[in-house]
Amino acid sequence: MLFALLFAEAAEGEEEAINPVIPEISEMFWGIIAFAALYVLVTYVLLPPIQRIRNDRAATIQADLDAADAARAQAISASAEMADQLADVRAEAAAIIDAVRAEADAERERLVARAEREVNAMREIAESEIVAEREQALASLRPQVAELAVSAASRVTGRSIDGGSAQSVVDRYLTNPN
Amino acid sequence: MSVLATIGMQAVEVAQEAFTAAEERNIAGAAGAGMAYGLAAIGPGIGIGYLVGQAVQAMARQPESAGAVRTNMFLGIAFTEALALIGFVVFILLKFA
Amino acid sequence: MFGFEYPSIQDLVVWPNYFGGDSFWALNKIGLISLLAMILPALMFLLSKKEMVPRGLQNVVEGSVEFVENQIIMPAIGPEGLRYLPLLLSIFLFVFFGNIFEVIPTFQMPANARMANPMFLALIVLVVFTVIGFKHNGLSYLKGIAWPHDVPIGLRPLVGFIELLSVFLIRPFGLAVRLFANMLAGHILLVTFGALTIAVFTTSVLVVLTPLTFGMLIILTAFEMFVSFLQAFVFAILTAVYIDSSLHAH
Repeated sequence: MLFALLFAEAAEGEEEAINPVIPEISEMFWGIIAFAALYVLVTYVLLPPIQRIRNDRAATIQADLDAADAARAQAISASAEMADQLADVRAEAAAIIDAVRAEADAERERLVARAEREVNAMREIAESEIVAEREQALASLRPQVAELAVSAASRVTGRSIDGGSAQSVVDRYLTNPN
Repeated sequence: MSVLATIGMQAVEVAQEAFTAAEERNIAGAAGAGMAYGLAAIGPGIGIGYLVGQAVQAMARQPESAGAVRTNMFLGIAFTEALALIGFVVFILLKFA
Repeated sequence: MFGFEYPSIQDLVVWPNYFGGDSFWALNKIGLISLLAMILPALMFLLSKKEMVPRGLQNVVEGSVEFVENQIIMPAIGPEGLRYLPLLLSIFLFVFFGNIFEVIPTFQMPANARMANPMFLALIVLVVFTVIGFKHNGLSYLKGIAWPHDVPIGLRPLVGFIELLSVFLIRPFGLAVRLFANMLAGHILLVTFGALTIAVFTTSVLVVLTPLTFGMLIILTAFEMFVSFLQAFVFAILTAVYIDSSLHAH
């Protein structure tokens, strides 16, 4: 409406000074050419590479973030797995220690028992040997004691005592000392 | 005061006698142009002041929505300012056309 | 006063043709800036490396694409608006580079301070959102605008008429005038302070005011850089908003 008014006024006052509000046809011609060229360039030449690199960047950043998330999840699961394994190993170690301890106890019991048995056996042997020695010693002493007693008695009595009778007395005495 | 006014009016009369018709039209155009722009600037001046004040208040109350408020503030300024600018164009038309 | 002669508006915005005379293909400074506004972003995009880790120019290029995506399309349309990224990106770049020549020495003229570029851009936007509206909603797009359902039946003709005007006339007109007037006003502001600085500097007494006007000129130059960006942003986001209203017409 106002444009039409302006144009009418311009057509009417052609000889007068140029109206600063009226668009100049030549300026508009070059403006339209420039804008059309810019629009075509932006649409088909200038903008696509920019958008491509921006999309690439966004995709890269997203991929990196995803990878970081995945790595974090993996690390968490790995540490959980490690904790599990650690618990298993601990339990196993405890079991092994218990088993070894039980075995060692048993072994010790066995060894102690054997040692006691051996000691007992040796003591019995020694005791029997001692008894045998004493018997033997007694047996070997008996004639000497009789002889000594006979000689002592003969010296006391001043007469010779019959060896045979004396022997039987000594045997009787030694066998029944009371 | 009245003496000055009388002298002034006489001067205007003398001047008017000396002007041609085209010059008179120019003077009337210039006076009208100044008046037109001055009047056209009042309303948008008040309007933009109020608008920006309210926008600043909104931004102070909700700083997190400052971006949206600012964009809408510029839009509002653009619409309000158009009236003053039409006054400016009328000024140019009256003065130079 | 003080030998201050303000340049006429013709000297500020009208430029002689380099060639072409009076023909429709005559090239002047505005046309040259329009061409540069096409060539510079294209060079930026072509020369930037496409690496996984962006550096230097690639940051700028990807930053502009991301800005259009996250600050213009996402708030205004949502994810389905990403299809219109090329259009909105071209509009944003074209308008921004056309504007930023306002503060580049030896040019110091925003291409959009002439009505030509804003007008054809606004007409393109008009065509785009109308076509999208008809493509997505069929004829009910027009019916939804001209015969609004959420209005009492008695008011419908009136509101429908206003809506028709607002959608198909005020929208492109507002787009074009907003961009044009902002850039022209900024240009005139810079010229004013530039001329004022020169005038003050060449007068003997008022030379003490030079730091004031020159400082103001510097501040305004920085402000105009911001405005250049802001107007490109506003133009693009309004385009996005209009496209969104065509996509989700009720």
